[in-house]
Amino acid sequence: MELDVIAFWSFAALAVISAFGVVFFKNIIYSVLSLISTLIMISGLFFSMGAELIGALQILIYAVAIVVFYVLVISTVPQYKGEAIDPKYFALSLPVGFLLFLELAYVSVYGAWASNTGIFTPEVLSEVGNVKAVSTILFSKYLFPFEVASLILLVAMIGAIVLGRKEQAMDEEEVK
Amino acid sequence: MVPYEFYVALSGLLMVLGLIGVIIRKNIIAMLISTELMLNSVNLAFVAFDMKLQDVSGQVFVFFILTIAAAEAAVGLGLIMAIYRLKKDVDVEKLTELKY
Repeated sequence: MELDVIAFWSFAALAVISAFGVVFFKNIIYSVLSLISTLIMISGLFFSMGAELIGALQILIYAVAIVVFYVLVISTVPQYKGEAIDPKYFALSLPVGFLLFLELAYVSVYGAWASNTGIFTPEVLSEVGNVKAVSTILFSKYLFPFEVASLILLVAMIGAIVLGRKEQAMDEEEVK
Repeated sequence: MVPYEFYVALSGLLMVLGLIGVIIRKNIIAMLISTELMLNSVNLAFVAFDMKLQDVSGQVFVFFILTIAAAEAAVGLGLIMAIYRLKKDVDVEKLTELKY
Protein backbone atom coordinates (compact mmCIF):
# COMPACT_ATOMS: atom_id res chain seq x y z
CA MET A 1 0.00 0.00 0.00
CA GLU A 2 1.29 3.42 -0.88
CA LEU A 3 2.18 5.94 1.77
CA ASP A 4 -0.31 8.64 0.71
CA VAL A 5 -3.19 6.14 0.80
CA ILE A 6 -2.30 5.22 4.41
CA ALA A 7 -1.95 8.94 5.22
CA PHE A 8 -5.35 9.74 3.71
CA TRP A 9 -7.24 6.99 5.53
CA SER A 10 -5.66 7.64 8.92
CA PHE A 11 -6.07 11.44 8.70
CA ALA A 12 -9.64 11.09 7.40
CA ALA A 13 -10.69 8.61 10.10
CA LEU A 14 -9.22 10.76 12.87
CA ALA A 15 -10.82 13.91 11.39
CA VAL A 16 -14.28 12.31 11.30
CA ILE A 17 -13.96 10.89 14.83
CA SER A 18 -12.84 14.29 16.13
CA ALA A 19 -15.70 15.99 14.27
CA PHE A 20 -18.17 13.68 16.03
CA GLY A 21 -16.51 14.77 19.26
CA VAL A 22 -16.99 18.45 18.34
CA VAL A 23 -20.69 17.93 17.75
CA PHE A 24 -21.58 15.53 20.58
CA PHE A 25 -19.34 16.31 23.57
CA LYS A 26 -21.32 17.80 26.44
CA ASN A 27 -18.44 19.75 27.95
CA ILE A 28 -17.55 22.68 25.69
CA ILE A 29 -13.82 22.47 26.50
CA TYR A 30 -13.75 18.91 25.12
CA SER A 31 -15.48 20.20 21.98
CA VAL A 32 -12.76 22.82 21.48
CA LEU A 33 -10.00 20.26 22.01
CA SER A 34 -11.67 17.98 19.43
CA LEU A 35 -11.82 20.97 17.09
CA ILE A 36 -8.03 21.39 17.42
CA SER A 37 -7.61 17.70 16.57
CA THR A 38 -9.89 18.04 13.51
CA LEU A 39 -8.02 21.12 12.29
CA ILE A 40 -4.62 19.44 12.58
CA MET A 41 -5.91 16.36 10.73
CA ILE A 42 -7.32 18.55 7.93
CA SER A 43 -3.96 20.30 7.75
CA GLY A 44 -2.35 16.88 7.34
CA LEU A 45 -4.77 16.19 4.47
CA PHE A 46 -3.68 19.48 2.85
CA PHE A 47 -0.06 18.38 3.10
CA SER A 48 -0.92 15.02 1.57
CA MET A 49 -2.63 16.83 -1.34
CA GLY A 50 0.50 18.89 -1.96
CA ALA A 51 -0.81 22.23 -0.64
CA GLU A 52 2.00 23.01 1.79
CA LEU A 53 1.34 26.75 2.18
CA ILE A 54 -2.32 26.24 3.07
CA GLY A 55 -1.48 23.39 5.45
CA ALA A 56 0.99 25.55 7.36
CA LEU A 57 -1.42 28.50 7.43
CA GLN A 58 -4.18 26.19 8.67
CA ILE A 59 -2.10 25.22 11.71
CA LEU A 60 -0.89 28.79 12.31
CA ILE A 61 -4.18 30.67 11.96
CA TYR A 62 -6.85 28.09 12.80
CA ALA A 63 -5.32 25.67 15.26
CA VAL A 64 -3.49 28.42 17.17
CA ALA A 65 -5.08 31.84 16.78
CA ILE A 66 -8.79 31.11 16.43
CA VAL A 67 -8.84 28.31 19.02
CA VAL A 68 -7.13 30.64 21.51
CA PHE A 69 -10.03 33.08 20.96
CA TYR A 70 -12.50 30.34 21.84
CA VAL A 71 -10.59 29.14 24.90
CA LEU A 72 -10.34 32.71 26.23
CA VAL A 73 -14.07 33.35 25.82
CA ILE A 74 -14.99 29.97 27.35
CA SER A 75 -12.80 30.74 30.34
CA THR A 76 -14.72 33.97 30.99
CA VAL A 77 -18.21 32.50 30.53
CA PRO A 78 -19.13 30.14 33.44
CA GLN A 79 -19.72 26.50 32.68
CA TYR A 80 -22.94 25.82 30.81
CA LYS A 81 -25.16 23.73 33.07
CA GLY A 82 -28.08 22.90 30.75
CA GLU A 83 -28.57 20.05 28.32
CA ALA A 84 -25.96 19.95 25.56
CA ILE A 85 -28.15 18.49 22.80
CA ASP A 86 -31.74 19.30 21.96
CA PRO A 87 -33.39 15.87 21.32
CA LYS A 88 -36.37 17.30 19.42
CA TYR A 89 -34.06 18.82 16.78
CA PHE A 90 -31.78 15.78 16.64
CA ALA A 91 -34.33 13.61 14.77
CA LEU A 92 -35.00 16.51 12.40
CA SER A 93 -31.34 17.18 11.67
CA LEU A 94 -30.52 13.68 10.34
CA PRO A 95 -32.71 13.76 7.17
CA VAL A 96 -31.74 17.38 6.53
CA GLY A 97 -28.07 16.44 6.78
CA PHE A 98 -28.57 13.45 4.48
CA LEU A 99 -30.32 15.62 1.88
CA LEU A 100 -27.50 18.16 2.07
CA PHE A 101 -24.94 15.38 1.57
CA LEU A 102 -26.79 14.09 -1.52
CA GLU A 103 -26.97 17.60 -2.93
CA LEU A 104 -23.27 18.23 -2.32
CA ALA A 105 -22.39 14.90 -3.92
CA TYR A 106 -24.50 15.68 -7.00
CA VAL A 107 -23.04 19.16 -7.46
CA SER A 108 -19.43 18.13 -6.93
CA VAL A 109 -19.53 15.04 -9.13
CA TYR A 110 -21.40 16.59 -12.07
CA GLY A 111 -20.12 20.16 -11.71
CA ALA A 112 -16.39 19.59 -11.59
CA TRP A 113 -16.23 17.77 -14.91
CA ALA A 114 -17.61 20.80 -16.70
CA SER A 115 -14.93 23.16 -15.36
CA ASN A 116 -11.83 24.21 -17.26
CA THR A 117 -8.51 22.86 -16.09
CA GLY A 118 -5.80 25.31 -15.07
CA ILE A 119 -2.20 25.68 -16.15
CA PHE A 120 -0.57 24.24 -13.02
CA THR A 121 0.00 20.65 -14.09
CA PRO A 122 2.09 18.40 -11.79
CA GLU A 123 5.15 19.06 -13.95
CA VAL A 124 4.85 22.85 -13.54
CA LEU A 125 4.18 22.49 -9.81
CA SER A 126 7.22 20.26 -9.29
CA GLU A 127 9.30 22.91 -11.07
CA VAL A 128 8.17 26.07 -9.25
CA GLY A 129 6.77 24.61 -6.02
CA ASN A 130 3.38 25.06 -4.42
CA VAL A 131 4.22 28.16 -2.36
CA LYS A 132 5.54 30.10 -5.35
CA ALA A 133 2.57 29.11 -7.51
CA VAL A 134 -0.01 30.17 -4.90
CA SER A 135 1.72 33.46 -4.11
CA THR A 136 2.12 34.32 -7.79
CA ILE A 137 -1.62 33.99 -8.31
CA LEU A 138 -2.39 35.71 -4.99
CA PHE A 139 -0.30 38.80 -5.72
CA SER A 140 -1.21 39.18 -9.40
CA LYS A 141 -4.77 38.08 -10.18
CA TYR A 142 -6.17 38.38 -6.65
CA LEU A 143 -4.25 41.46 -5.45
CA PHE A 144 -7.35 43.62 -4.90
CA PRO A 145 -9.25 40.98 -2.84
CA PHE A 146 -6.05 40.58 -0.80
CA GLU A 147 -6.11 44.30 0.08
CA VAL A 148 -9.84 44.11 0.88
CA ALA A 149 -9.13 41.17 3.21
CA SER A 150 -6.73 43.36 5.18
CA LEU A 151 -9.49 46.00 5.45
CA ILE A 152 -11.95 43.34 6.68
CA LEU A 153 -9.47 42.29 9.38
CA LEU A 154 -9.11 45.93 10.49
CA VAL A 155 -12.90 46.35 10.67
CA ALA A 156 -13.25 43.07 12.60
CA MET A 157 -10.58 44.18 15.07
CA ILE A 158 -12.29 47.54 15.71
CA GLY A 159 -15.68 45.79 15.96
CA ALA A 160 -14.41 43.23 18.46
CA ILE A 161 -12.89 45.99 20.62
CA VAL A 162 -16.10 48.05 20.56
CA LEU A 163 -18.32 45.03 21.28
CA GLY A 164 -16.12 43.63 24.04
CA ARG A 165 -15.57 46.95 25.84
CA LYS A 166 -17.33 47.57 29.12
CA GLU A 167 -19.61 50.60 29.35
CA GLN A 168 -17.27 52.80 31.36
CA ALA A 169 -19.68 55.69 32.01
CA MET A 170 -22.47 53.41 33.26
CA ASP A 171 -20.13 51.62 35.68
CA GLU A 172 -18.92 54.88 37.21
CA GLU A 173 -22.50 56.05 37.82
CA GLU A 174 -23.36 52.74 39.47
CA VAL A 175 -20.38 53.15 41.79
CA LYS A 176 -21.54 56.64 42.82
CA MET B 1 -2.75 8.57 -5.57
CA VAL B 2 -6.00 8.88 -3.65
CA PRO B 3 -8.75 10.00 -6.05
CA TYR B 4 -10.20 13.43 -5.43
CA GLU B 5 -13.71 12.05 -4.90
CA PHE B 6 -12.61 10.64 -1.54
CA TYR B 7 -11.51 14.08 -0.37
CA VAL B 8 -14.78 15.62 -1.60
CA ALA B 9 -16.81 12.92 0.17
CA LEU B 10 -14.90 13.55 3.39
CA SER B 11 -15.55 17.27 2.97
CA GLY B 12 -19.27 16.60 2.52
CA LEU B 13 -19.33 14.42 5.63
CA LEU B 14 -17.66 17.13 7.71
CA MET B 15 -20.08 19.72 6.31
CA VAL B 16 -23.08 17.58 7.30
CA LEU B 17 -21.64 17.03 10.80
CA GLY B 18 -21.16 20.79 11.18
CA LEU B 19 -24.75 21.44 10.08
CA ILE B 20 -26.05 18.85 12.55
CA GLY B 21 -23.99 20.54 15.24
CA VAL B 22 -25.48 23.95 14.42
CA ILE B 23 -28.99 22.48 14.56
CA ILE B 24 -28.80 20.41 17.72
CA ARG B 25 -26.48 22.28 20.09
CA LYS B 26 -28.06 24.60 22.65
CA ASN B 27 -24.91 26.41 23.75
CA ILE B 28 -24.26 29.37 21.44
CA ILE B 29 -20.46 28.93 21.63
CA ALA B 30 -20.83 25.30 20.50
CA MET B 31 -22.87 26.52 17.51
CA LEU B 32 -20.01 28.84 16.50
CA ILE B 33 -17.54 25.95 16.85
CA SER B 34 -19.70 23.83 14.51
CA THR B 35 -19.60 26.71 12.02
CA GLU B 36 -15.80 26.48 12.06
CA LEU B 37 -16.17 22.81 11.16
CA MET B 38 -18.30 23.74 8.14
CA LEU B 39 -15.76 26.36 7.01
CA ASN B 40 -13.01 23.74 7.22
CA SER B 41 -14.94 21.30 5.07
CA VAL B 42 -15.22 24.00 2.41
CA ASN B 43 -11.44 24.49 2.57
CA LEU B 44 -10.95 20.78 2.05
CA ALA B 45 -13.26 20.78 -0.99
CA PHE B 46 -11.44 23.78 -2.51
CA VAL B 47 -8.03 22.10 -2.26
CA ALA B 48 -9.42 18.77 -3.54
CA PHE B 49 -10.87 20.43 -6.65
CA ASP B 50 -7.57 22.25 -7.13
CA MET B 51 -5.84 18.89 -7.21
CA LYS B 52 -8.28 17.63 -9.83
CA LEU B 53 -8.47 20.73 -12.02
CA GLN B 54 -4.70 21.41 -11.84
CA ASP B 55 -5.04 24.96 -10.63
CA VAL B 56 -4.08 26.94 -7.51
CA SER B 57 -6.91 29.51 -7.39
CA GLY B 58 -8.77 27.38 -4.85
CA GLN B 59 -5.85 27.63 -2.45
CA VAL B 60 -5.98 31.42 -2.79
CA PHE B 61 -9.65 31.24 -1.83
CA VAL B 62 -8.75 29.05 1.18
CA PHE B 63 -6.41 31.86 2.21
CA PHE B 64 -9.33 34.33 2.08
CA ILE B 65 -11.56 31.91 4.01
CA LEU B 66 -8.92 31.74 6.75
CA THR B 67 -8.96 35.55 6.94
CA ILE B 68 -12.75 35.71 7.07
CA ALA B 69 -12.87 32.92 9.70
CA ALA B 70 -10.53 34.90 11.94
CA ALA B 71 -12.69 38.02 11.54
CA GLU B 72 -15.86 35.99 12.14
CA ALA B 73 -14.46 34.41 15.31
CA ALA B 74 -13.39 37.80 16.67
CA VAL B 75 -16.73 39.52 16.01
CA GLY B 76 -18.86 36.49 16.96
CA LEU B 77 -17.11 35.92 20.25
CA GLY B 78 -17.25 39.66 20.99
CA LEU B 79 -21.02 39.47 20.42
CA ILE B 80 -21.28 36.43 22.71
CA MET B 81 -19.40 38.32 25.43
CA ALA B 82 -21.77 41.29 25.03
CA ILE B 83 -24.82 39.00 25.15
CA TYR B 84 -23.47 37.22 28.21
CA ARG B 85 -22.88 40.51 29.99
CA LEU B 86 -26.46 41.59 29.28
CA LYS B 87 -28.37 38.33 29.84
CA LYS B 88 -25.97 36.22 31.96
CA ASP B 89 -26.78 33.23 29.71
CA VAL B 90 -25.52 31.45 26.59
CA ASP B 91 -28.53 29.15 26.07
CA VAL B 92 -30.13 29.82 22.67
CA GLU B 93 -33.56 28.83 24.01
CA LYS B 94 -33.49 31.84 26.34
CA LEU B 95 -32.12 34.42 23.90
CA THR B 96 -35.47 35.20 22.27
CA GLU B 97 -35.70 39.02 22.18
CA LEU B 98 -36.03 39.15 18.40
CA LYS B 99 -38.77 36.52 18.35
CA TYR B 100 -41.56 38.64 19.84
